[in-house]
Amino acid sequence: MQVQTHVDIHSEWGIVAARQAGRKLAREIGFGSVDQARITTAISELARNIYLYANKGQIQIEEATSAGKRGIKIIATDQGPGIKEIRRVMEDGFTTSGGLGAGLPGVKRLMDDFDIDSELKVGTTITAIKWLR
Amino acid sequence: MNSVIKDMVLEHKEDITDSWLKEISKFRSDDMLQNISDKMYENTNLEFVNILILTVQKTNEELEHDELIQFVEKLIQIGWPLNYITRGLQEFRKACVEIISNREENSHNNLEFFKKIEDWIDDIVNLLVTQYSGSWENTVFLQKMALKELSAPLIPVFENISVMPLIGTIDTERAKLIMENLLEGVIEHRSQVVLIDITGVPVVDTMVAHHIIQASEAVRLVGAKCILVGIRPEIAQTIVNLGIDLGKFPTKSTLKKGIESALELTQREIVELKK
Amino acid sequence: MRIPILKLHDYLLISVQVELDDQTALQFQEDVLEKIHEEGSRGVVIDLTSVDMIDSFIAKVLGDVVDMSNLMGARVVLTGIQPAVAITLIDMGIVLDDVPTALDLEQGLDRLQLELED
Repeated sequence: MQVQTHVDIHSEWGIVAARQAGRKLAREIGFGSVDQARITTAISELARNIYLYANKGQIQIEEATSAGKRGIKIIATDQGPGIKEIRRVMEDGFTTSGGLGAGLPGVKRLMDDFDIDSELKVGTTITAIKWLR
Repeated sequence: MNSVIKDMVLEHKEDITDSWLKEISKFRSDDMLQNISDKMYENTNLEFVNILILTVQKTNEELEHDELIQFVEKLIQIGWPLNYITRGLQEFRKACVEIISNREENSHNNLEFFKKIEDWIDDIVNLLVTQYSGSWENTVFLQKMALKELSAPLIPVFENISVMPLIGTIDTERAKLIMENLLEGVIEHRSQVVLIDITGVPVVDTMVAHHIIQASEAVRLVGAKCILVGIRPEIAQTIVNLGIDLGKFPTKSTLKKGIESALELTQREIVELKK
Repeated sequence: MRIPILKLHDYLLISVQVELDDQTALQFQEDVLEKIHEEGSRGVVIDLTSVDMIDSFIAKVLGDVVDMSNLMGARVVLTGIQPAVAITLIDMGIVLDDVPTALDLEQGLDRLQLELED
Protein backbone atom coordinates (compact mmCIF):
# COMPACT_ATOMS: atom_id res chain seq x y z
CA MET A 1 0.00 0.00 0.00
CA GLN A 2 1.27 3.46 -0.86
CA VAL A 3 1.35 5.81 2.08
CA GLN A 4 1.25 9.52 1.46
CA THR A 5 1.27 12.57 3.66
CA HIS A 6 0.76 16.18 2.67
CA VAL A 7 1.76 19.03 4.91
CA ASP A 8 0.96 22.62 4.03
CA ILE A 9 3.73 25.03 4.91
CA HIS A 10 2.50 28.52 5.64
CA SER A 11 3.99 29.14 9.07
CA GLU A 12 6.96 27.95 11.07
CA TRP A 13 4.73 25.34 12.65
CA GLY A 14 4.41 23.70 9.27
CA ILE A 15 8.13 22.96 9.41
CA VAL A 16 7.72 21.04 12.66
CA ALA A 17 4.63 19.23 11.38
CA ALA A 18 6.40 18.19 8.16
CA ARG A 19 9.43 16.76 9.87
CA GLN A 20 7.34 14.90 12.43
CA ALA A 21 5.33 13.35 9.62
CA GLY A 22 8.57 12.48 7.83
CA ARG A 23 10.10 10.83 10.85
CA LYS A 24 6.98 8.78 11.41
CA LEU A 25 6.90 7.47 7.84
CA ALA A 26 10.67 6.89 7.78
CA ARG A 27 10.34 4.78 10.91
CA GLU A 28 7.42 2.83 9.44
CA ILE A 29 9.33 2.09 6.26
CA GLY A 30 12.13 0.70 8.41
CA PHE A 31 14.92 3.27 8.33
CA GLY A 32 17.48 3.15 11.15
CA SER A 33 17.94 6.00 13.59
CA VAL A 34 20.73 7.67 11.61
CA ASP A 35 18.76 7.67 8.36
CA GLN A 36 15.67 8.87 10.23
CA ALA A 37 17.70 11.85 11.40
CA ARG A 38 18.98 12.44 7.86
CA ILE A 39 15.47 12.33 6.38
CA THR A 40 13.95 14.51 9.09
CA THR A 41 16.71 17.07 8.70
CA ALA A 42 16.33 17.13 4.92
CA ILE A 43 12.58 17.73 5.28
CA SER A 44 13.25 20.49 7.77
CA GLU A 45 15.62 22.23 5.34
CA LEU A 46 13.18 21.95 2.44
CA ALA A 47 10.24 23.14 4.51
CA ARG A 48 12.20 26.07 5.85
CA ASN A 49 13.22 27.09 2.34
CA ILE A 50 9.56 27.17 1.34
CA TYR A 51 8.68 29.28 4.35
CA LEU A 52 11.62 31.65 3.92
CA TYR A 53 11.49 32.22 0.18
CA ALA A 54 7.98 31.43 -1.01
CA ASN A 55 5.93 32.00 2.18
CA LYS A 56 3.78 29.03 1.44
CA GLY A 57 3.90 25.72 -0.28
CA GLN A 58 3.55 22.04 0.33
CA ILE A 59 5.63 19.09 1.44
CA GLN A 60 4.52 15.70 0.20
CA ILE A 61 6.07 12.61 1.77
CA GLU A 62 5.46 9.16 0.37
CA GLU A 63 6.85 5.68 0.13
CA ALA A 64 8.93 5.10 -3.00
CA THR A 65 9.63 1.80 -4.75
CA SER A 66 11.87 1.07 -7.69
CA ALA A 67 13.42 -2.13 -8.99
CA GLY A 68 12.82 -3.95 -5.74
CA LYS A 69 14.15 -1.12 -3.60
CA ARG A 70 12.09 0.70 -0.99
CA GLY A 71 12.57 4.22 0.12
CA ILE A 72 11.03 7.52 1.08
CA LYS A 73 10.32 10.33 -1.33
CA ILE A 74 9.98 13.96 -0.39
CA ILE A 75 8.47 16.44 -2.82
CA ALA A 76 8.65 20.10 -1.84
CA THR A 77 6.53 22.39 -4.02
CA ASP A 78 5.95 26.12 -3.90
CA GLN A 79 4.59 28.82 -6.16
CA GLY A 80 7.20 31.31 -5.04
CA PRO A 81 9.62 33.48 -6.99
CA GLY A 82 11.71 30.56 -8.27
CA ILE A 83 15.46 30.21 -7.95
CA LYS A 84 17.54 32.51 -10.10
CA GLU A 85 20.90 30.82 -9.67
CA ILE A 86 20.41 27.10 -9.20
CA ARG A 87 24.10 26.42 -9.62
CA ARG A 88 24.96 28.84 -6.86
CA VAL A 89 22.37 27.66 -4.34
CA MET A 90 23.93 24.21 -4.63
CA GLU A 91 27.29 25.60 -3.52
CA ASP A 92 28.31 25.17 0.08
CA GLY A 93 28.21 28.40 1.99
CA PHE A 94 26.07 30.35 -0.48
CA THR A 95 23.24 32.07 1.36
CA THR A 96 20.82 34.88 0.79
CA SER A 97 19.15 34.52 4.18
CA GLY A 98 22.10 34.86 6.55
CA GLY A 99 22.03 31.12 7.32
CA LEU A 100 24.90 28.67 7.09
CA GLY A 101 24.42 28.09 3.38
CA ALA A 102 24.27 24.37 4.09
CA GLY A 103 20.60 23.91 3.22
CA LEU A 104 20.19 22.62 -0.33
CA PRO A 105 23.67 21.11 -0.82
CA GLY A 106 23.16 19.57 2.61
CA VAL A 107 19.85 18.01 1.55
CA LYS A 108 21.54 16.61 -1.54
CA ARG A 109 24.19 14.94 0.59
CA LEU A 110 21.71 13.64 3.15
CA MET A 111 19.53 11.97 0.51
CA ASP A 112 20.35 9.54 -2.32
CA ASP A 113 18.50 11.13 -5.25
CA PHE A 114 17.99 14.85 -5.61
CA ASP A 115 16.25 16.81 -8.32
CA ILE A 116 15.45 20.48 -8.52
CA ASP A 117 13.10 22.12 -10.97
CA SER A 118 12.55 25.84 -10.80
CA GLU A 119 11.04 28.50 -13.00
CA LEU A 120 11.28 32.19 -12.26
CA LYS A 121 8.00 33.72 -11.03
CA VAL A 122 6.30 30.32 -11.31
CA GLY A 123 7.73 28.28 -8.50
CA THR A 124 10.07 25.50 -7.46
CA THR A 125 9.71 21.76 -7.06
CA ILE A 126 12.39 19.77 -5.31
CA THR A 127 12.26 15.97 -5.21
CA ALA A 128 14.54 13.97 -2.96
CA ILE A 129 14.62 10.22 -2.30
CA LYS A 130 16.38 8.13 0.31
CA TRP A 131 16.60 4.38 -0.34
CA LEU A 132 16.62 1.70 2.33
CA ARG A 133 20.08 0.20 2.60
CA MET B 1 5.92 -32.01 -23.83
CA ASN B 2 5.04 -32.81 -27.39
CA SER B 3 4.61 -36.54 -27.68
CA VAL B 4 6.23 -36.92 -31.13
CA ILE B 5 9.45 -35.40 -29.85
CA LYS B 6 9.24 -37.35 -26.70
CA ASP B 7 9.06 -40.61 -28.58
CA MET B 8 11.87 -39.65 -30.92
CA VAL B 9 14.18 -38.54 -28.17
CA LEU B 10 13.56 -41.64 -26.12
CA GLU B 11 13.98 -43.84 -29.13
CA HIS B 12 17.40 -42.36 -29.98
CA LYS B 13 18.44 -41.99 -26.41
CA GLU B 14 21.63 -43.99 -26.83
CA ASP B 15 22.85 -42.09 -29.87
CA ILE B 16 22.18 -38.72 -28.34
CA THR B 17 24.00 -39.73 -25.20
CA ASP B 18 27.03 -40.97 -27.11
CA SER B 19 27.23 -37.89 -29.29
CA TRP B 20 26.86 -35.58 -26.32
CA LEU B 21 29.48 -37.38 -24.26
CA LYS B 22 31.93 -37.10 -27.12
CA GLU B 23 31.42 -33.34 -27.41
CA ILE B 24 31.49 -32.64 -23.72
CA SER B 25 34.75 -34.53 -23.23
CA LYS B 26 36.39 -32.16 -25.75
CA PHE B 27 35.21 -29.29 -23.69
CA ARG B 28 37.07 -30.49 -20.64
CA SER B 29 40.52 -29.65 -21.98
CA ASP B 30 39.89 -25.90 -22.31
CA ASP B 31 38.55 -25.50 -18.84
CA MET B 32 39.35 -25.53 -15.17
CA LEU B 33 37.65 -28.87 -14.79
CA GLN B 34 41.00 -30.57 -15.23
CA ASN B 35 41.67 -31.24 -11.59
CA ILE B 36 38.55 -33.34 -11.34
CA SER B 37 39.25 -37.05 -11.70
CA ASP B 38 38.33 -38.77 -14.98
CA LYS B 39 35.99 -41.12 -13.22
CA MET B 40 34.19 -38.29 -11.50
CA TYR B 41 33.92 -36.33 -14.73
CA GLU B 42 32.50 -39.28 -16.63
CA ASN B 43 30.01 -40.11 -13.94
CA THR B 44 28.83 -36.55 -13.71
CA ASN B 45 28.47 -36.33 -17.49
CA LEU B 46 26.45 -39.53 -17.59
CA GLU B 47 24.19 -38.42 -14.80
CA PHE B 48 23.72 -35.02 -16.42
CA VAL B 49 22.76 -36.37 -19.84
CA ASN B 50 20.43 -39.00 -18.41
CA ILE B 51 18.59 -36.43 -16.37
CA LEU B 52 18.41 -34.14 -19.40
CA ILE B 53 16.89 -36.81 -21.56
CA LEU B 54 14.30 -37.66 -18.94
CA THR B 55 13.12 -34.03 -18.82
CA VAL B 56 11.50 -34.55 -22.22
CA GLN B 57 8.68 -36.40 -20.49
CA LYS B 58 7.94 -33.70 -18.00
CA THR B 59 5.69 -30.68 -17.87
CA ASN B 60 7.04 -27.29 -16.90
CA GLU B 61 5.55 -27.56 -13.43
CA GLU B 62 7.16 -30.89 -12.88
CA LEU B 63 10.47 -29.49 -14.11
CA GLU B 64 10.62 -26.99 -11.30
CA HIS B 65 10.97 -29.78 -8.79
CA ASP B 66 12.92 -32.10 -11.01
CA GLU B 67 16.01 -33.97 -9.96
CA LEU B 68 17.77 -31.79 -12.55
CA ILE B 69 17.50 -28.90 -10.08
CA GLN B 70 19.04 -30.93 -7.30
CA PHE B 71 21.75 -32.12 -9.61
CA VAL B 72 22.68 -28.60 -10.69
CA GLU B 73 22.50 -27.33 -7.14
CA LYS B 74 25.00 -29.98 -6.14
CA LEU B 75 27.33 -28.98 -9.00
CA ILE B 76 27.17 -25.33 -7.95
CA GLN B 77 27.94 -26.17 -4.37
CA ILE B 78 31.03 -28.14 -5.21
CA GLY B 79 32.12 -25.32 -7.47
CA TRP B 80 31.63 -26.47 -11.04
CA PRO B 81 31.59 -23.55 -13.44
CA LEU B 82 28.36 -22.26 -14.96
CA ASN B 83 30.11 -22.79 -18.33
CA TYR B 84 29.90 -26.50 -17.93
CA ILE B 85 26.15 -26.37 -17.57
CA THR B 86 25.47 -23.93 -20.40
CA ARG B 87 27.89 -25.63 -22.78
CA GLY B 88 26.40 -28.96 -21.80
CA LEU B 89 22.93 -27.71 -22.71
CA GLN B 90 24.10 -26.24 -26.01
CA GLU B 91 25.76 -29.47 -26.99
CA PHE B 92 22.71 -31.39 -25.89
CA ARG B 93 20.51 -29.33 -28.19
CA LYS B 94 22.88 -29.88 -31.10
CA ALA B 95 23.05 -33.59 -30.44
CA CYS B 96 19.27 -33.94 -30.34
CA VAL B 97 18.71 -31.99 -33.54
CA GLU B 98 21.48 -33.75 -35.40
CA ILE B 99 20.69 -37.29 -34.42
CA ILE B 100 16.97 -37.01 -34.88
CA SER B 101 17.08 -35.20 -38.20
CA ASN B 102 19.52 -37.79 -39.51
CA ARG B 103 17.52 -40.78 -38.38
CA GLU B 104 13.96 -39.69 -38.93
CA GLU B 105 13.16 -39.09 -42.54
CA ASN B 106 9.79 -37.50 -42.09
CA SER B 107 11.20 -34.93 -39.72
CA HIS B 108 13.47 -33.35 -42.34
CA ASN B 109 12.97 -29.64 -42.86
CA ASN B 110 10.24 -29.62 -40.36
CA LEU B 111 10.50 -26.23 -38.71
CA GLU B 112 7.85 -27.12 -36.21
CA PHE B 113 10.02 -29.93 -35.01
CA PHE B 114 13.09 -27.75 -34.50
CA LYS B 115 11.03 -25.21 -32.66
CA LYS B 116 9.75 -27.85 -30.27
CA ILE B 117 13.28 -28.88 -29.42
CA GLU B 118 14.32 -25.25 -28.96
CA ASP B 119 11.42 -24.59 -26.60
CA TRP B 120 12.20 -27.64 -24.57
CA ILE B 121 15.88 -26.80 -24.10
CA ASP B 122 15.25 -23.06 -23.62
CA ASP B 123 12.93 -23.77 -20.73
CA ILE B 124 15.63 -25.82 -19.11
CA VAL B 125 18.26 -23.13 -19.70
CA ASN B 126 16.06 -20.45 -18.15
CA LEU B 127 15.30 -22.61 -15.19
CA LEU B 128 18.94 -23.45 -14.53
CA VAL B 129 20.25 -19.92 -15.02
CA THR B 130 17.66 -18.59 -12.57
CA GLN B 131 18.69 -21.29 -10.15
CA TYR B 132 22.38 -20.52 -10.58
CA SER B 133 22.12 -16.74 -10.32
CA GLY B 134 19.87 -17.07 -7.29
CA SER B 135 22.47 -19.15 -5.57
CA TRP B 136 25.21 -16.75 -6.66
CA GLU B 137 23.33 -13.71 -5.32
CA ASN B 138 22.84 -15.58 -2.10
CA THR B 139 26.60 -16.12 -1.82
CA VAL B 140 27.32 -12.45 -2.45
CA PHE B 141 24.75 -11.48 0.16
CA LEU B 142 26.31 -13.80 2.74
CA GLN B 143 29.76 -12.40 2.01
CA LYS B 144 28.46 -8.87 2.38
CA MET B 145 26.99 -9.77 5.75
CA ALA B 146 30.26 -11.38 6.79
CA LEU B 147 32.13 -8.24 5.80
CA LYS B 148 29.68 -6.14 7.76
CA GLU B 149 30.31 -8.19 10.87
CA LEU B 150 34.02 -7.80 10.32
CA SER B 151 33.61 -4.05 10.36
CA ALA B 152 35.34 -2.22 13.12
CA PRO B 153 34.45 -2.98 16.73
CA LEU B 154 35.14 -0.32 19.34
CA ILE B 155 37.21 -1.80 22.14
CA PRO B 156 37.36 -0.12 25.54
CA VAL B 157 40.93 -0.42 26.85
CA PHE B 158 40.92 1.85 29.89
CA GLU B 159 38.17 3.76 31.57
CA ASN B 160 37.14 6.48 29.10
CA ILE B 161 39.63 5.31 26.47
CA SER B 162 38.66 3.12 23.52
CA VAL B 163 40.43 1.82 20.45
CA MET B 164 38.96 1.19 17.03
CA PRO B 165 41.28 -0.86 14.82
CA LEU B 166 40.46 -0.47 11.14
CA ILE B 167 41.38 -3.36 8.89
CA GLY B 168 41.08 -3.60 5.13
CA THR B 169 39.88 -1.30 2.44
CA ILE B 170 37.40 1.38 3.41
CA ASP B 171 34.67 2.19 0.91
CA THR B 172 31.77 4.57 1.40
CA GLU B 173 29.40 1.87 2.56
CA ARG B 174 31.85 0.59 5.17
CA ALA B 175 32.80 4.10 6.21
CA LYS B 176 29.16 4.75 7.13
CA LEU B 177 29.00 1.62 9.23
CA ILE B 178 32.29 2.38 10.90
CA MET B 179 31.07 5.86 11.78
CA GLU B 180 27.85 4.52 13.30
CA ASN B 181 29.68 1.82 15.30
CA LEU B 182 32.20 4.38 16.45
CA LEU B 183 29.65 6.89 17.72
CA GLU B 184 27.35 4.31 19.33
CA GLY B 185 30.40 2.80 21.02
CA VAL B 186 31.60 6.16 22.31
CA ILE B 187 28.23 6.70 23.99
CA GLU B 188 27.99 3.15 25.28
CA HIS B 189 31.46 3.08 26.84
CA ARG B 190 31.44 6.75 27.81
CA SER B 191 34.74 7.18 26.00
CA GLN B 192 36.46 10.52 26.27
CA VAL B 193 39.25 9.57 23.92
CA VAL B 194 39.03 7.26 20.91
CA LEU B 195 42.11 5.96 19.14
CA ILE B 196 41.51 5.09 15.50
CA ASP B 197 44.21 2.66 14.47
CA ILE B 198 44.83 2.56 10.72
CA THR B 199 47.77 0.13 10.82
CA GLY B 200 45.62 -2.40 8.94
CA VAL B 201 44.41 -0.04 6.23
CA PRO B 202 46.44 -0.78 3.10
CA VAL B 203 45.85 2.47 1.23
CA VAL B 204 44.94 5.90 2.49
CA ASP B 205 43.78 8.02 -0.43
CA THR B 206 41.83 11.27 -0.35
CA MET B 207 38.54 9.42 -0.01
CA VAL B 208 39.66 7.27 2.91
CA ALA B 209 41.20 10.32 4.56
CA HIS B 210 37.94 12.20 4.03
CA HIS B 211 36.00 9.42 5.77
CA ILE B 212 38.44 9.38 8.67
CA ILE B 213 38.29 13.15 9.05
CA GLN B 214 34.49 13.06 9.01
CA ALA B 215 34.46 10.31 11.61
CA SER B 216 36.72 12.24 13.92
CA GLU B 217 34.65 15.38 13.51
CA ALA B 218 31.52 13.42 14.39
CA VAL B 219 33.29 11.97 17.42
CA ARG B 220 34.10 15.50 18.53
CA LEU B 221 30.45 16.53 18.16
CA VAL B 222 29.21 13.77 20.44
CA GLY B 223 31.76 14.94 22.96
CA ALA B 224 34.93 12.86 22.73
CA LYS B 225 38.40 13.27 21.25
CA CYS B 226 39.91 11.34 18.40
CA ILE B 227 43.55 10.39 17.95
CA LEU B 228 44.65 8.81 14.70
CA VAL B 229 47.33 6.18 15.27
CA GLY B 230 49.23 3.60 13.28
CA ILE B 231 50.49 5.97 10.62
CA ARG B 232 53.17 4.09 8.72
CA PRO B 233 55.87 6.00 6.82
CA GLU B 234 54.33 5.32 3.40
CA ILE B 235 50.93 6.45 4.65
CA ALA B 236 52.44 9.68 5.98
CA GLN B 237 54.04 10.21 2.58
CA THR B 238 50.80 9.68 0.62
CA ILE B 239 48.86 11.90 3.00
CA VAL B 240 51.26 14.78 2.53
CA ASN B 241 51.75 14.20 -1.19
CA LEU B 242 48.00 14.23 -1.73
CA GLY B 243 47.80 17.50 0.15
CA ILE B 244 45.40 16.12 2.76
CA ASP B 245 45.22 18.35 5.81
CA LEU B 246 45.10 16.29 8.96
CA GLY B 247 46.42 19.20 10.97
CA LYS B 248 43.19 19.62 12.89
CA PHE B 249 43.43 16.45 14.90
CA PRO B 250 46.23 14.71 16.71
CA THR B 251 48.07 11.81 15.12
CA LYS B 252 50.60 9.35 16.52
CA SER B 253 52.77 6.80 14.80
CA THR B 254 51.89 3.87 17.04
CA LEU B 255 49.01 2.70 19.18
CA LYS B 256 51.32 2.70 22.19
CA LYS B 257 52.13 6.38 21.83
CA GLY B 258 48.47 7.08 21.21
CA ILE B 259 47.48 5.41 24.45
CA GLU B 260 50.08 7.40 26.39
CA SER B 261 48.74 10.57 24.93
CA ALA B 262 45.15 9.51 25.65
CA LEU B 263 46.02 8.86 29.27
CA GLU B 264 47.58 12.29 29.46
CA LEU B 265 44.42 13.85 28.05
CA THR B 266 42.41 12.16 30.78
CA GLN B 267 44.92 13.22 33.44
CA ARG B 268 46.46 9.83 34.04
CA GLU B 269 49.78 8.15 33.38
CA ILE B 270 51.42 4.77 33.54
CA VAL B 271 53.99 4.51 36.37
CA GLU B 272 56.37 1.67 37.08
CA LEU B 273 56.02 0.12 40.49
CA LYS B 274 59.09 0.43 42.69
CA LYS B 275 60.20 -2.76 44.39
CA MET C 1 7.34 27.53 24.39
CA ARG C 2 10.32 28.33 26.61
CA ILE C 3 13.24 26.17 27.59
CA PRO C 4 13.99 26.31 31.33
CA ILE C 5 17.43 27.58 32.32
CA LEU C 6 18.80 26.47 35.69
CA LYS C 7 21.47 28.30 37.63
CA LEU C 8 24.16 26.41 39.55
CA HIS C 9 26.77 28.62 41.21
CA ASP C 10 28.61 30.32 38.35
CA TYR C 11 27.07 28.12 35.73
CA LEU C 12 23.88 27.85 33.77
CA LEU C 13 22.48 24.39 33.05
CA ILE C 14 20.10 23.88 30.20
CA SER C 15 18.59 20.62 29.09
CA VAL C 16 16.66 20.90 25.86
CA GLN C 17 13.74 18.51 26.17
CA VAL C 18 11.42 19.73 23.45
CA GLU C 19 11.50 19.56 19.69
CA LEU C 20 13.13 22.82 18.67
CA ASP C 21 11.05 24.86 16.30
CA ASP C 22 12.50 28.09 14.97
CA GLN C 23 10.66 30.36 17.36
CA THR C 24 11.62 28.33 20.41
CA ALA C 25 15.25 28.29 19.26
CA LEU C 26 15.39 32.06 18.84
CA GLN C 27 13.60 32.65 22.13
CA PHE C 28 16.10 30.30 23.75
CA GLN C 29 19.03 32.29 22.34
CA GLU C 30 17.60 35.47 23.80
CA ASP C 31 16.85 33.88 27.19
CA VAL C 32 20.35 32.44 27.59
CA LEU C 33 22.04 35.76 26.87
CA GLU C 34 19.64 37.59 29.19
CA LYS C 35 20.34 35.09 31.97
CA ILE C 36 24.12 35.33 31.53
CA HIS C 37 23.80 39.07 31.85
CA GLU C 38 21.56 38.83 34.92
CA GLU C 39 23.59 36.24 36.81
CA GLY C 40 27.09 37.08 35.59
CA SER C 41 27.56 33.40 34.72
CA ARG C 42 30.98 32.20 33.62
CA GLY C 43 29.93 28.96 32.01
CA VAL C 44 26.96 27.38 30.27
CA VAL C 45 26.21 23.72 29.59
CA ILE C 46 23.58 23.00 26.97
CA ASP C 47 22.52 19.37 27.01
CA LEU C 48 21.09 18.07 23.75
CA THR C 49 20.57 14.40 24.73
CA SER C 50 16.85 14.53 23.91
CA VAL C 51 17.26 16.42 20.64
CA ASP C 52 16.82 14.04 17.72
CA MET C 53 17.37 16.50 14.87
CA ILE C 54 19.49 19.56 14.28
CA ASP C 55 19.09 21.23 10.91
CA SER C 56 21.20 24.07 9.54
CA PHE C 57 18.99 26.72 11.12
CA ILE C 58 19.18 25.27 14.61
CA ALA C 59 22.89 24.58 14.17
CA LYS C 60 23.32 28.24 13.30
CA VAL C 61 21.36 29.37 16.34
CA LEU C 62 23.42 27.09 18.60
CA GLY C 63 26.69 28.29 17.06
CA ASP C 64 25.54 31.87 17.51
CA VAL C 65 24.64 31.26 21.15
CA VAL C 66 28.18 29.96 21.72
CA ASP C 67 29.82 32.94 20.00
CA MET C 68 27.55 35.50 21.66
CA SER C 69 28.04 33.98 25.10
CA ASN C 70 31.80 34.01 24.57
CA LEU C 71 31.54 37.72 23.81
CA MET C 72 29.77 38.16 27.12
CA GLY C 73 32.51 36.23 28.91
CA ALA C 74 30.76 32.90 29.38
CA ARG C 75 32.11 29.63 27.96
CA VAL C 76 29.57 27.25 26.48
CA VAL C 77 29.83 23.48 26.25
CA LEU C 78 27.36 21.41 24.21
CA THR C 79 26.72 17.94 25.59
CA GLY C 80 24.87 14.80 24.63
CA ILE C 81 24.72 15.28 20.87
CA GLN C 82 23.33 11.96 19.62
CA PRO C 83 25.29 9.88 17.08
CA ALA C 84 22.53 10.19 14.47
CA VAL C 85 22.48 13.96 14.92
CA ALA C 86 26.29 14.19 14.71
CA ILE C 87 26.38 12.13 11.51
CA THR C 88 23.65 14.27 9.94
CA LEU C 89 25.52 17.47 10.80
CA ILE C 90 28.73 16.09 9.30
CA ASP C 91 26.85 15.00 6.16
CA MET C 92 25.52 18.52 5.81
CA GLY C 93 29.02 19.90 6.16
CA ILE C 94 28.29 21.60 9.46
CA VAL C 95 31.26 21.08 11.76
CA LEU C 96 30.58 23.55 14.63
CA ASP C 97 34.33 24.03 14.65
CA ASP C 98 35.05 26.06 17.74
CA VAL C 99 32.32 24.68 19.94
CA PRO C 100 33.50 22.66 22.94
CA THR C 101 31.58 19.41 23.40
CA ALA C 102 31.27 16.68 26.00
CA LEU C 103 29.50 13.35 26.30
CA ASP C 104 27.03 14.28 29.03
CA LEU C 105 26.15 16.90 31.62
CA GLU C 106 28.68 15.58 34.11
CA GLN C 107 31.61 15.57 31.71
CA GLY C 108 30.36 18.89 30.38
CA LEU C 109 30.79 20.48 33.80
CA ASP C 110 34.30 18.99 34.07
CA ARG C 111 35.11 20.36 30.67
CA LEU C 112 33.88 23.83 31.65
CA GLN C 113 36.06 23.75 34.73
CA LEU C 114 39.07 22.88 32.57
CA GLU C 115 38.27 25.60 30.05
CA LEU C 116 37.93 28.18 32.78
CA GLU C 117 41.21 27.19 34.45
CA ASP C 118 43.16 27.87 31.26
